[in-house]
Amino acid sequence: MSSLTAPGQFFTPSLRPRRKSTAAASAASPNPSPSTSAFRLDLRTTPSQTPRQKCIKSRILLTTASAATGLLLQFGSGSGSGSGSGFGGGGGGGGGGGSWWRWVLGSIAYADDQGEEGRDWDPHGLPADIVWQLGKLSAFKKYKISEISFFDRIRTTTVGTEDSFFEMVSLRPGGVYTKAQLQKELETLATCGMFEKVDMEGKTNPDGTISLTISFLESTWQAADKFRCINVGLMQQSKAVDIDNAMTEKEKMEAFKSQEKDYKRRIERSRPCLLPAPVYREVMQMLKAEGNVSARTLQKIRDRVQKWYHDEGYACAQVVNFGNLNTKEVVCEVVEGDITQLVIQFQDKLGNVVEGNTNLAVVRRELPKQLRQGHVFNIEAGKQALRNINWLGLFSNIEVNPKPDDKNEGGIIVEIKLKELEQKTAEVSTEWSIVPGRGGRPTLASFQPGGTVSFEHRNLGGLNRSILGSVTTSNFINPQDDLAFKLEYVHPYLDGVYNPRNRTLKASCFNSRKMSPVFTGGPGVDEVPPIWVDRSGCKANITENFNRQNKFTYGIVMEEITTRDEGNHVSANGQRVLPNGGISADGPPTTLSGTGVDRMVFGQANITRDNTRFVNGAIVGERNVFQVDQGLGIGSKFPLFNRHQLTLTKFIQLKDVEEGAGKPPPPVLVLHGHYGGCVGDLPSYDAFTLGGPYSVRGYNMGELGAARNILELAAEIRIPVKNTHVYAFAEHGNDLGSSKDVKGNPTEVYRRMGKGSSYGVGVKLNLVRAEYAVDHNSGTGAVFFRFGERF
Amino acid sequence: MTSQAREWTGIQQFPAATQTKLLELLGKLKQEDVSSLTILVLGKGGVGKSSTVNSLIGERIVTASAFQSENLRPVMVSRTRAGFTLNVIDTPGLIEGGYVNDQALDIIKRFLLNKTIDVLLYVDRLDVYRVDTLDKQVVKAITDNFGQKIWNRGIVVLTHAQLSPPDGLSYDEFCSRRSEGLLKIIQSNLSSGFGSRMKKHETATTPVVLVENSGRCNKNDNDEKILPNGVIWIPDLVKKITDVVSNGSETVLVDKKLIEGPNPNERGKIWIPLILAIQYFFVVKRIQGAIKADIARENKPLWELRDMGLAKGKF
Repeated sequence: MSSLTAPGQFFTPSLRPRRKSTAAASAASPNPSPSTSAFRLDLRTTPSQTPRQKCIKSRILLTTASAATGLLLQFGSGSGSGSGSGFGGGGGGGGGGGSWWRWVLGSIAYADDQGEEGRDWDPHGLPADIVWQLGKLSAFKKYKISEISFFDRIRTTTVGTEDSFFEMVSLRPGGVYTKAQLQKELETLATCGMFEKVDMEGKTNPDGTISLTISFLESTWQAADKFRCINVGLMQQSKAVDIDNAMTEKEKMEAFKSQEKDYKRRIERSRPCLLPAPVYREVMQMLKAEGNVSARTLQKIRDRVQKWYHDEGYACAQVVNFGNLNTKEVVCEVVEGDITQLVIQFQDKLGNVVEGNTNLAVVRRELPKQLRQGHVFNIEAGKQALRNINWLGLFSNIEVNPKPDDKNEGGIIVEIKLKELEQKTAEVSTEWSIVPGRGGRPTLASFQPGGTVSFEHRNLGGLNRSILGSVTTSNFINPQDDLAFKLEYVHPYLDGVYNPRNRTLKASCFNSRKMSPVFTGGPGVDEVPPIWVDRSGCKANITENFNRQNKFTYGIVMEEITTRDEGNHVSANGQRVLPNGGISADGPPTTLSGTGVDRMVFGQANITRDNTRFVNGAIVGERNVFQVDQGLGIGSKFPLFNRHQLTLTKFIQLKDVEEGAGKPPPPVLVLHGHYGGCVGDLPSYDAFTLGGPYSVRGYNMGELGAARNILELAAEIRIPVKNTHVYAFAEHGNDLGSSKDVKGNPTEVYRRMGKGSSYGVGVKLNLVRAEYAVDHNSGTGAVFFRFGERF
Repeated sequence: MTSQAREWTGIQQFPAATQTKLLELLGKLKQEDVSSLTILVLGKGGVGKSSTVNSLIGERIVTASAFQSENLRPVMVSRTRAGFTLNVIDTPGLIEGGYVNDQALDIIKRFLLNKTIDVLLYVDRLDVYRVDTLDKQVVKAITDNFGQKIWNRGIVVLTHAQLSPPDGLSYDEFCSRRSEGLLKIIQSNLSSGFGSRMKKHETATTPVVLVENSGRCNKNDNDEKILPNGVIWIPDLVKKITDVVSNGSETVLVDKKLIEGPNPNERGKIWIPLILAIQYFFVVKRIQGAIKADIARENKPLWELRDMGLAKGKF
């Protein structure tokens, strides 16, 4: 028996108490006792048939390819198929941090596996086609049962295997059982309360196996018109009242009465359950339609109630009992899966429990409070915990695992098992590059060893603090030529790990090199000699995360900006091509100081409001970003400025659609506005440029101008087609006449318009956007391929 | 400056009648306490700026060439006569290769540093039928660089005035049409200028002078150069110049500020603290409020609502 129900045994020992006495009382009395008596019905579930079991058996596997993290939200870890085999950090392909959920239905282990090898059953040794009673079987033989059929005595029909009763029986055709097992099965059936009478009959087959017929008389009770569902989780099971046949009628009455009283008290004490009114109504209709309450009706009710729970994610909820039968009201007792304990444990690589380095509070603050003690376990809360913990980036494997509480009946212990990532990592990657030597031919000296050296020390002090650094150069022999470095320290939980306020301090030293779009020619202007802007410095900022998407960052930046020409020489002015073809170096000044090198300290703040969400893969919502750089008057020429940008983007859903996997996304209208402005000192490298894939599409970066104040407006409409979308857009960028307010007027010097519009159409192909954009200034169109999103 | 100025001998080359008229006009200026006059000559290349300067002074001081621009730098010619100093600044053409030559403008501005311009002669040819974008650009460049006020002191000079107009047009009609076209762009430049405080009637009075520098210019009985419409143009030019000088408008002092333009980096600087405060209270705070509202409004999944006890059996 125990082996037969192995997959379900997880919950059964505690949730399926044998209340023989009461059940027997009902089952044994052929004529239903007076209406006042309360009956209980034990419901058993056998594997594979009910949704609950599926749930318990199933595994949810989340692997993130990027971090090689295996996450596991697991149910029923104790059961058959090896729990560790399913996951393995997906080191393979899979782009860009995408994660996916996969349901893996565990294979259901049947006990009859044991009969597979060889012939370990005994032939019945009787002539074929003899009908016998169970008692006549030999106690020492193992019988093979080739066939099982059910015979309903009320309807006098044989019921098929699809009948709900079939799942009551743990015997399976093809299984091998001893007499004791069969007897026990019969006893279980007889005592479960579903049947008033059950018999088992066998027929011998010529091949030595037997066919089994189970004939039964279904229990029925008085018709009921009310239904009530109560939550009996964590409650003591009601005491059984022994009703002896030796008792007098009066004693029996009294026993029934006290039982009834007990039951009433039990109902009163029970907590309300989550089952909503619509399901109540459905059940009530079921009851009305059925007339007398039969075991099948109860089974249907149980299935309906459990289905609702499981559909809503209450994976551990279970109907344990029906009470108050033979009254007007059917009481359904449910254990919803109350969490009695939350356990967080760390495991080493081999799966042994170890003391982790991570402070538990760091993990705990990521857990939704619905996973804490006293709440009902919901699989969605488990998934959220999984996601949140994964977000920390500290663990290579995460399991969230509800387990029945042995000490508290109907209780659930939520176990979170974590495997920590290596704290320190260092990485060196190298590459050789061949640069053309003298005469364009590569020589020995022109082989350049380049590469990146990076290290990371994370989870310092167990509080998720980290230091990471990296140095990249294209030539290790002469690193001063081109050296990119970054050193960053991240300090989360600035207000303490127990404080719900989530502020993170970040300090970093950096350098960067970018080509300035300010020094770009307009249409028809031959190449403008480029200006490179090198920035190096330190910054420190504090980010307050309101939630995942909304944050407020403020900090201070200290940097040195050097502007260089193509030959890597510091240049104080942009170059311009003279009408006669010569080049003069008296173009617009590149820096505030006029020397080509600026140093400054300024404050920086950025607030992002983002309530976008995905509706079947299409982004919908609103995103507002406001950013200010505030000069403090510290640095070359005492720069004092206020440079601000406001970006408003709205994704408007144009059609209501049903949400769900595989459903088509709605068409979306995107409206976008960006204002940038600066009051005070404005060096050219901080001027706002117009044109480019993130400004006005269809133009090159900076092709429209560089100005003190700019306004960009864009509209895009996205129409879903198959599993991607096509879009049409129109954009406009305008310098608001402020190009002349940038020193040296680079817009005019490089003959740019200062404003421009474009329109076009495009199609999204995975990560790539292919679009045809028409530049309205010249009226010509071109096809562009871009990575990523415009908005 | 005056020490360098030579005696204006060129005036003696003019016919006697012209000399008398000129001296009369200069005398009038002296009466108004104007003892020196600086005239700036601007225009596209090859329209006859240098020739006009030569004609006005009466000497061949500036080499004028019909085919190429000789003078890449501005030249100032100063002449004194009876205590009166006349400065004429000849400039290189403002157009090069189809664009306004910013560099030339730059050089001119730097040359003019700390000089006061009394009169601007904007030179163009009479015998051109159309006004094109290039003209607009030149006028705009002048306005942008010297300010709108310079047109109060401006005179439009149309050279090559000795021409026979196309069929069906009288000489006067042609001249007035041509000058109208030019004046229109000057005017549109002024009115379109942001923050213009000019009144239209002021600009409408920008005078137009016709000039013929060629030696083949017709002459009258007194040997004075005369145009087809009978105007003796040298005295006419000087008269218009004196008119402009005495019209009461401001002279234009070319100082550092004018050359570099107003420093946009300084504008509004004192308002920065106020701007910052407005940004904090009206933008950052508002967005923060919106975020809070978002979070409060966020669609919680049903299981979370049930957990919070908000379901009340409804879902």
